[in-house]
Amino acid sequence: MAAVVAAAAAATAGLYRFTDLFVKHYAPTPYDDLLMRLTDRGEAAKLGARMKGSFDLASQSARLRDTFRKQDLVAATHADIAAGRLVEVGGWVLPETVVLLSALASRV
Amino acid sequence: MTALIDARTIPNGQVLTPDLAIVGGGPAGISLALALKDSRISIVLLEAGSTSFDPEIQKMYTGAETGVPYAALDAGRLRALGGGTNHWGGWCRPMDAIDFEAKPWMAHSGWPFGRAALEPYYARAQALVEAGPWIYDQKGDVMAGATGPVLPLGDGGLYTSWFQFSKTRDSVLPTQFGQRYGDDLRAAKNVTPYVHANVTGIRLAANGASVDHLDIATLNGKHFAVKPRMTVLAAGAMENARLMLASTDVVSAGVGNQNDLVGRFFADNPIPRDVATLVSFAGPLAAFYGSNQTLNDGAIMRATFAPTSAFRRKAQVAGSLSTVEPAVDLDETGKAAVVTTALALGVNAANAQAYSLGCGMELSPDPDRRLTVTGEKDALGLPRLKLDMRIADEDFDRFRRTLTELGRQLLASRIGLLRINCKDRQDWMKRMDWGHHHLGTTRMHADPKQGVVDADGLVHGIANLYVAGSGVFPSYSASNPTLNLVALTLRLGDHLKKVMA
Repeated sequence: MAAVVAAAAAATAGLYRFTDLFVKHYAPTPYDDLLMRLTDRGEAAKLGARMKGSFDLASQSARLRDTFRKQDLVAATHADIAAGRLVEVGGWVLPETVVLLSALASRV
Repeated sequence: MTALIDARTIPNGQVLTPDLAIVGGGPAGISLALALKDSRISIVLLEAGSTSFDPEIQKMYTGAETGVPYAALDAGRLRALGGGTNHWGGWCRPMDAIDFEAKPWMAHSGWPFGRAALEPYYARAQALVEAGPWIYDQKGDVMAGATGPVLPLGDGGLYTSWFQFSKTRDSVLPTQFGQRYGDDLRAAKNVTPYVHANVTGIRLAANGASVDHLDIATLNGKHFAVKPRMTVLAAGAMENARLMLASTDVVSAGVGNQNDLVGRFFADNPIPRDVATLVSFAGPLAAFYGSNQTLNDGAIMRATFAPTSAFRRKAQVAGSLSTVEPAVDLDETGKAAVVTTALALGVNAANAQAYSLGCGMELSPDPDRRLTVTGEKDALGLPRLKLDMRIADEDFDRFRRTLTELGRQLLASRIGLLRINCKDRQDWMKRMDWGHHHLGTTRMHADPKQGVVDADGLVHGIANLYVAGSGVFPSYSASNPTLNLVALTLRLGDHLKKVMA
């Protein structure tokens, strides 16, 4: 019986991994409430990996949570642009919230 | 019809006595002669070169350089009838009103008059360069008729401006003044054009207050003189300075150089390549961004991104004109930036297309960016030039601020994004190219201590010597100089008609 359960569990896990081909699955993190706002977390992580300088997870995630208490990602992005809160990553001129979320994605 | 006279056939010792001598048969010299043709002013036009390029004659222009790498001194100009128009690209754009203003953040900037002084001459200048109807930024429906995506930049520091182009005949280069206007010069009863006529000295009267005569020499050993009432130097910013600095028999510092200004403030328009990568979210852009497009009315136009006057004042930046260049592929970071940012903006960027961005920059006036004469002599004994070329870090910083604002506007309009490809001076310099627009060296200023010529182009302290061309520009603009120097020369023509009447 145990063997059957183990086999079923293994099959389920395999099936779950197979769906990674369509939807990437990530291990749970303390920042999933933030990372869920990224439609393509993998691409964001690639971008975030190019961000230079220190990135304090605790303070930056708190800052992002504060941002998202007031508005969604699209609104936050537009607010950054309107206020001139732009950050260069690899020369790309980008809205600050996009960069912070991307940096977070690359570091968890 | 008068023939072009080959100065090599003039007997030694002859003295020509026209009302006006124009030294140089480039766009300024030819424009001035055309402006004064059929007047009562008798004119000799002295072109040092031939009617076509001759490498032996061109060697008269070689010189030395120090400072940042720059084009060879004989590379950006042509010693032949038509001068630089024999190899220009035909890019035309009038200077902006702010280009004429003294800008507190840019030392030595500002003209002694505003753009209004040139306005009456732009239409005629446009006709001479054959750039078609005057449109530039005054026609709103160029973008409306586009067949591909456009980039409405919205409110912000940059706007879409327009170049126009000197007419291209079939596959022939734009208007070459010597070829195009040679017959007009020959047909003018009061104009006698000479070729192979090298001015080797500006000889002042003993009191130094006027030009007595010009020494002329030819490469086959002939020497004669021209003794005019008035002289206009129109040989280009480099050669005008050389002639003035080399003529030291009365004023030891050189003609017009009593305040050590001749040769200083040399400038060009840097055109560093691939300064940025511009992504259009909507896909391949309308054709007028990346190449010249001919409109139904014959105008040939291309879009460019220019800083507004308000932004230039607020951000303390110089003039610049950024152009969309060939499409490029994005690296992994670029693709990630596009995907992540577009999704955050709520924009579909599935068809996004990236382009290289080029530009023409305006340099800050710098008295130490300077031409001097050396001990080395050319074939006629005239000292050769040495250029000390410089670019201030601030010039790059200013343009970088402009690019950052362009990036912000693309994001704000949800139409694209921008990568700035130059981090430091080394990055800028390795991408550097030059417009070959020789500017400064005989700058215009009402104060003789700050300029070589006054607002009319008259050399301070010399009653009958003028300078024409972009060498008198005291600050430079990012606009290509030919249209503007032709307009300024036409203004000089009106002035000479008055003072020589």
